[in-house]
Amino acid sequence: MPPVKWLMHWHPSPGATVNSQILSEACGCAESLGGSKDGRWKTSIFFYRAMTRDGAGGPAGQQHPDLPRELLGVALHERPGLYFSIVRAQRLVLQADAAFPQVMEKLQSYRIRVALNFEGFQYQLGDFCLRIGKCVPNNSEALRGIMMEVEYYPLSSIEKSKAVMEDFFDIWQETVAKKSLPGQFIHVDSSFSDYGLSDQYSCQHTAVQYATCLQQLMAAVTVRG
Amino acid sequence: MECVVQGIIETQHVEALEVLLQGLSGVPKERVRVHELCLKSGPNLGVVPSEVRLLCDLAQPTPSWTIRHVGGAMRGAGAEQISVLVRTIVESKASKNVLHYFYTLGYKLDHELLKIGFAFRFHRGAQITVTVTSTNKMPRLHATDEAVPVTPGIQLVEITAPAAADNYNDVVSAVSAFCEYLAPLLHLSKPEHSTGIVATAGAAAASLMSSGGGKTL
Repeated sequence: MPPVKWLMHWHPSPGATVNSQILSEACGCAESLGGSKDGRWKTSIFFYRAMTRDGAGGPAGQQHPDLPRELLGVALHERPGLYFSIVRAQRLVLQADAAFPQVMEKLQSYRIRVALNFEGFQYQLGDFCLRIGKCVPNNSEALRGIMMEVEYYPLSSIEKSKAVMEDFFDIWQETVAKKSLPGQFIHVDSSFSDYGLSDQYSCQHTAVQYATCLQQLMAAVTVRG
Repeated sequence: MECVVQGIIETQHVEALEVLLQGLSGVPKERVRVHELCLKSGPNLGVVPSEVRLLCDLAQPTPSWTIRHVGGAMRGAGAEQISVLVRTIVESKASKNVLHYFYTLGYKLDHELLKIGFAFRFHRGAQITVTVTSTNKMPRLHATDEAVPVTPGIQLVEITAPAAADNYNDVVSAVSAFCEYLAPLLHLSKPEHSTGIVATAGAAAASLMSSGGGKTL
């Protein structure tokens, strides 16, 4: 059973932007808490768009009303053999294996329009693992956002781990606040039960958090490359 | 990619075929009970129409789902020469909500079947799977418990072997060679070139059953 994980994203203050200095400072905070850097990580998200015979994947206005406007694919760093696909509007998360994108490619009914990578360094901090990363389009260094994963190894129950995760989040917020950066990290709160997911944490929970995180990143961030 | 041949056999001779396959493969048979749902893209979805199959393995304690896309067959003069079909295939395991997922994406159920029988999986020059099944249809949507045979008295035999671009010739040879062993009981050919039941099947089956297995034909 995978350990429970919280995702957080950087929410800039009004008028402020996301930049790589914030990312460096966040990594500095992890180290100041005693975190030891032990590698890199990368999770990828793919935006699919329906191909229709009367619009062939053109502007959203030509989208057939019955087809999902947004279809996501998620490839998690910790499970390279798996692939997840999410239809957020229907609160649907499909777990498949790494061959699934090839099926979609063969079907040609949905095509990837945009690919985003969440990547950075990971830090071991006692019973926690922190992964702090940037959100960038595939094959680009243009910074779209900053987010982090906080994983707590001893527990897999979301409910039972809530107190310890909230305590860690408070410590993290205090540590980051000392840097006087223009913004703060916000916990990505996902309605797991809406997706039919249980209290026992799983990779499907992580995929859903990434989908929610992305939505919040897009809404909150003003981009500066 | 995979190599595939098919043939048909009368149900009365299936037991003899099982004896023969047991002797040739040396492995225990596996139960097959697969609910196959064939989905097709809705009228406006995709630049071209598409089709995908969902297979639910009901033989396991917990049903498991597989997405299967069958691609085009290899074409050309070389393909015409060989007696085995070589085609692209992509499969992925999936969670149990996969049918709902594809409905949400705009796919519709075209038809569903229940395949019941057995399979032998073994290595003989290539990783070969021989599946012997009756194909059953359901009177009501997804009513697998009420399935009835589409062609009572006749079962389908399918031999498949995974292949890659750099080894399919060897796989084709292995499959063709194996088919020779089954020739007295049934004729196997490319799926679109069905040849019907074999005249010697009755005598061959009787021979296999009288020996109780382990006898060569």
